[in-house]
Amino acid sequence: MPVVNNHSERMRKFKNKGKDAAALRRQRAEVSIELRKAKKDEQILKRRSILFGLVDENLPLEEKRDEIIQLSLEEIVEAVNGSNTMLQLQATQATRRMLSRQKDPPINQIIELGIIPKLVEFLTRADNAPLQFEAAWALTNIASGTSDHTKAVVEGGAIPAFISLLSSPHMHISEQSVWALGNIAGDGPLYRDALINRNAIPPLLALVSPVTPVGFLRNITWTLSNLCRNKNPYPPLDAVKKILPVLICLIEHEDKDIISDSCWAISYLTDGSNDRIQIVVDTGILPRLVELMARPELIIMTPALRAIGNVVTGTDEQTQAAIDAGVLAVLPHLLRHAKPTIQKEAAWALSNIAAGPCWQIQQLITCGLLPPLVELLDKGDFKAQKEAVWAVANFTTGGTVEQVVELVRSGVLKPLLNLLLAKDSKTILVILDTISNLFLAAEKLGETERLCLLVEELDGLEKIEALQTHDNNMVYRAALNIIEKYFSGEETPGLQPGTGQDGLYDFSVEKQDFNF
Amino acid sequence: MELSDANLQTLTEYLKKTLDPDPAIRRPAEKFLESVEGSQNYPLLLLTLLEKSQENVIKVCASVTFKNYIKRNWRIVGILVEDEPNKICESDRIAIKANIVPLMLSSPEQIQKQLSDAISIIGREDFPQKWPDLLTEMVNRFQSGDFHVINGVLRTAHSLFKRYRHEFKSNELWTEIKLVLDAFALPLTNLFKATIELCSTHANDASALKVLFSSLILIAKLFYSLNFQDLPEFFEDNMETWMTNFHSLLTLDNKLLQTDDEEEAGLLELLKSQICDNAALYAQKYDEEFQPYLPRFVTAIWNLLVTTGQEVKYDLLVSNAIQFLASVCERPHYKHLFEDQNTLTSICEKVIVPNMEFRAADEEAFEDNSEEYIRRDLEGSDIDTRRRAACDLVRGLCKFFEGPVTGIFSGYVNSMLQEYAKNPSVNWKHKDAAIYLVTSLASKAQTQKHGITQANELVNLTEFFVNHIQPDLKSASVNEFPVLKADGIKYIMIFRNQVPKEQLLVSIPLLINHLQAESIVVHTYAAHALERLFTMRGTNNTTLITAAEMAPFVEVLLTNLFKALTLPGSSENEYIMKAIMRSFSLLQESIIPYIPSVITQLTQKLLAVSKNPSKPHFNHYMFESICLSIRITCKANPDAVGSFEEALFMVFTEILQNDVQEFIPYVFQVMSLLLEMHKNEIPSSYMALFPHLLQPVLWERTGNIPPLVRLLQAYLERGANTIASAAADKIPGLLGVFQKLIASKANDHQGFYLLNSIIEHMPPESVDQYRKQIFILLFQRLQNSKTTKFIKSFLVFINLYCVKYGALALQEIFDSIQPKMFGMVLEKIIIPEIQKVSGQVEKKICAVGITKILTECPPMMDTEYTKLWTPLLQALIGLFELPEDDTIPDEEHFIDIEDTPGYQTAFSQLAFAGKKEHDPVGQMVNNPRIHLAQSLHKLSTACPGRVPSMLSTSLNAEALQYLQGYLQAASVTLL
Repeated sequence: MPVVNNHSERMRKFKNKGKDAAALRRQRAEVSIELRKAKKDEQILKRRSILFGLVDENLPLEEKRDEIIQLSLEEIVEAVNGSNTMLQLQATQATRRMLSRQKDPPINQIIELGIIPKLVEFLTRADNAPLQFEAAWALTNIASGTSDHTKAVVEGGAIPAFISLLSSPHMHISEQSVWALGNIAGDGPLYRDALINRNAIPPLLALVSPVTPVGFLRNITWTLSNLCRNKNPYPPLDAVKKILPVLICLIEHEDKDIISDSCWAISYLTDGSNDRIQIVVDTGILPRLVELMARPELIIMTPALRAIGNVVTGTDEQTQAAIDAGVLAVLPHLLRHAKPTIQKEAAWALSNIAAGPCWQIQQLITCGLLPPLVELLDKGDFKAQKEAVWAVANFTTGGTVEQVVELVRSGVLKPLLNLLLAKDSKTILVILDTISNLFLAAEKLGETERLCLLVEELDGLEKIEALQTHDNNMVYRAALNIIEKYFSGEETPGLQPGTGQDGLYDFSVEKQDFNF
Repeated sequence: MELSDANLQTLTEYLKKTLDPDPAIRRPAEKFLESVEGSQNYPLLLLTLLEKSQENVIKVCASVTFKNYIKRNWRIVGILVEDEPNKICESDRIAIKANIVPLMLSSPEQIQKQLSDAISIIGREDFPQKWPDLLTEMVNRFQSGDFHVINGVLRTAHSLFKRYRHEFKSNELWTEIKLVLDAFALPLTNLFKATIELCSTHANDASALKVLFSSLILIAKLFYSLNFQDLPEFFEDNMETWMTNFHSLLTLDNKLLQTDDEEEAGLLELLKSQICDNAALYAQKYDEEFQPYLPRFVTAIWNLLVTTGQEVKYDLLVSNAIQFLASVCERPHYKHLFEDQNTLTSICEKVIVPNMEFRAADEEAFEDNSEEYIRRDLEGSDIDTRRRAACDLVRGLCKFFEGPVTGIFSGYVNSMLQEYAKNPSVNWKHKDAAIYLVTSLASKAQTQKHGITQANELVNLTEFFVNHIQPDLKSASVNEFPVLKADGIKYIMIFRNQVPKEQLLVSIPLLINHLQAESIVVHTYAAHALERLFTMRGTNNTTLITAAEMAPFVEVLLTNLFKALTLPGSSENEYIMKAIMRSFSLLQESIIPYIPSVITQLTQKLLAVSKNPSKPHFNHYMFESICLSIRITCKANPDAVGSFEEALFMVFTEILQNDVQEFIPYVFQVMSLLLEMHKNEIPSSYMALFPHLLQPVLWERTGNIPPLVRLLQAYLERGANTIASAAADKIPGLLGVFQKLIASKANDHQGFYLLNSIIEHMPPESVDQYRKQIFILLFQRLQNSKTTKFIKSFLVFINLYCVKYGALALQEIFDSIQPKMFGMVLEKIIIPEIQKVSGQVEKKICAVGITKILTECPPMMDTEYTKLWTPLLQALIGLFELPEDDTIPDEEHFIDIEDTPGYQTAFSQLAFAGKKEHDPVGQMVNNPRIHLAQSLHKLSTACPGRVPSMLSTSLNAEALQYLQGYLQAASVTLL
């Protein structure tokens, strides 16, 4: 079973203490199956352009004056497929309206009308900007639906059409195309790469300029972030290298949404192997990310923290770069943040820093991370407590004896032992391993007995004893092991002689040649 | 096997025979069934029988046989393992899976249970991949409306899903859970709602309610399993439904569901208890999502506690409910739910105090089952009790509200004490609760070894002790209010580190007095409290309570302790025996006047318990006490050893003759101690026993080996000459024991102990003829299976040999076994491994031995061995300069007596039979470094110029520097 292997792998590393601490670092998402609701603080994958209220600022001015024309689905099909440009525009507009209403847009029905190829064709009508725009908007909203919906748009041939519209002389059309492409890219690695292969990136990046309006820039940033998003496979390296310099500029913008989406993009680019992380580290962006981690706005703090969290899953040098950028000064505040997910992300980052070599662990101590870690262990949300347990476990694996003593001195033992009551087998096992680590350190100091008393005083002994009846085999064995080794007070063959005539052992041996 | 009537008939016959009480009939039938279980259709025949047999007993028997068959055979261990063939053919597997669910559901309960177990065993292997339709099949039954069927499904589901509660997160597991949630969560929710509705429509139908509540319990359990790993999307979306209904079930009561039974929890209690668990799960893991519901649950659970009675049947529910509150009140963001003074008062008054009361069941245990009572009360096996839960809640509340809670309880304590004072004989339970309350309020941290180690500073422990504990213990009658006496004694015991010493001294005579109490709990506690007080440390690592301070009480203490062993129920009371041991150890020579009587009583006890040793701890402390009597007495008067032998040997002989395995290792240790006390030649009584000690049967038991080796060492120390002259024919047998031990990796060090004693003490000529053999044996072990432990012992031995017989003798015997052997051992073993030797004496022996090789062995100077001279010297300097191991101080009083004695009587080492460390080179060499310098000096005068030249050519600079230091210290120079 993979779990067992992971665990023994970890134990192996633990025994080769200090040799390969990087292996203790845990990448994001150990399990790809989720039982939970999709996370609320994730960045939105696809967006629909919705009509809010009566007045919509995004609309071209003339439209607001026009009367709204209601058409039936049949009328739409007929008009779209007809040859009257005016009717085509009206029908497209009606379609777009339906797709833009706040509740239950009839995406499926529209797809079933079979008008997508026609709408795609309208995108190419350079002579009719309103029609281009309406078609682009309608298609954007179709692509904002499920994967099947996006697929319908892509298979209708929309990708090349939208890419060429990026260079449209009309800014609102170009902006709508950016949006549509964002939805397509957000569907997954397949369409993302389809866009990249069709060279969508250069015209997209060309839209970024000092005079680009903020609203437009937001759309571009968001679409860029979707082009960086998703693994299996990652976006091609040369695409990343093209996007990164622009992201580095965008992340310096003052608009919160632009900063947020740039951070998300960076967080996607760092969510991978160490060479991917290195590309980001090389841009020198880390100090800015750390600065943004400390911002009060959740939409900025969250992705910045994620990005930094990803960086510290990397090599010791990459982690050091994050430390040099000041991450340790910001983490205490985040570990105490009111929002559980922030606590959890921060603790996860901390656990990966604690998996580093002892000089990094020392920096962690020097920067005052132990008090908030102990607090979190004691009072944090359960998700955050789990990460904090990992942090302590890694600390005790890679830290020197003196550092471990420091950890115990900061009061880690009580909350750690309390968490033996956690309703999560893995957490319990990690704590038991940590306790073993603590005992190894105590043995080196000749303080085993003191640690035994401390564990008993803090009601840890009875909890460990109770775990000897745990249903999980590994948990119960780990508990048993500790009890036998430290709390039971108990200590614990060819040259056999024959028996001679007197009934006693016969003392005899045959000589052989010796060579040691 | 065909599915024929004839086969069914045969199978019926055999099944019937397996129920026969006569093994001659039963065993062959079982064998037969086992021999045919690999045949095709066998499981289907069983299923047919359990469904259709005319006889109920055969039905049940078939179902059990079927379950066991599945248990043994369903799992395919490995396709490649040839001796573990797949006994169930594929078509049978398919048929079983197709039929078992409906069969289970239509069977009577007795059979349903067996089949349900079988389904979960099969499910563990096949579900979900190889049994995809199981879930749908089960879920479809929810609509049947037949709750017999529904409960069958729920029970099976529970046994399939409960592993989600303890397994590690993995892709495989979560995929399965996701699949289960998709198919099961909605139907389960609908069933939950429907069942609750049915409960109100059938609110007046007791039998219907019972079935419905059984379903609700199972549904609540399934909820727990399905929500354990993470909060599933479905349950987050439907939290309102589940939590609202759970909440109202918590507050529900129905007379029809109340049971008369006082002990066994009823359906209502079981359901509420599970709901508490579910709420606790959400509160712990999904706090963010559960927050809106939590206050409601706190109120409901608290009301539940207020209204629930004292009967034992509510214990689990109450304990779960209190633990829920305890876990919530520690969280900073729920602090506000508790901080109101009225709330706190009400929790204290209505939840904590009532659950701390001494109940009828406790009283019963106190009187009739005191052993269990003591274990629970003293050793903390009280995790699930109400008192313990209440205690945890106090500690939880104290985290934020220590001041207010202490204040509220002080009021209660005072009023309870006043109640008691009004009429002690009626209201003594109030005082018990008051003491318990003070204890739980005051104790913040506790260990067995030291009692309470951190106390609430707001509680004045000494004042309470003086005003309320001592008066009880001072009362004239030791038998009045035994529970309060026990409470008082326990108070002293656990707060011994908080109460000032003068108060402890005042308590000692009181405790001694209570050794006479009739109540087992009371005199046991008194003994235990004394024992704990006697182990307390004062300044300078001495005992807190000194022998001088105990002087006035010695006689009464010893008298009462031994008398307590005659009280009914305490004849083998380990607490009393441990107190005896500890008293001896503390009092030392002041017990000497009482020894004659003490040793008589101990030997009588020994004789009595040796008939049937059943209390390992008691026995262990008894032998420790015997050892202490011997040591203390003989230290003052060595001649007294004879009278001990006189008193003990008869019992010892009986123990050895009757082969009382539990006691033999102890007897050998006591005998060693006695023998070592002799100053002169070994008495003949010991020599008569010598041949018996070499009997192989004794050496086959591992527990005997250490004490027997120890005893033989004592024989060699005191009687080597006698053995050489009067028992020379036993020397091969003695060496045979050595050979036996050396052959084992576990016992080889014991073999070396023996060998070292032989070399050290036996006259050389008596072992001359065996010496070569001994080395050959050791070399063989070295060659075939060397371990670090062996090498360490080997190095010590050859150096001891060298010290005893001289370096030249060592070289000669090695080279006589095989040419150039000496050089090989030096080069391959001694030089590279010598640094591994640990222990001060061991290192010293090696240092002196190697010094001899360097300076008193001519072949080292003028043969091909010469090239090894400098490396050997360097190795020796390395040995010197390694950090020394700390020696164990000669401080035996505090040695924690191990809890070793078990069923297998592994070696039970007696701390007070301890052997003094023996240094065979002690007299010869005081400082081995100086000795080396002097020996080198002597060598250099014999062959001037050689030594400095060897040093300068190849000794490394650091070692040379050390060596110069030694030479300087010895004030010698090398020529």
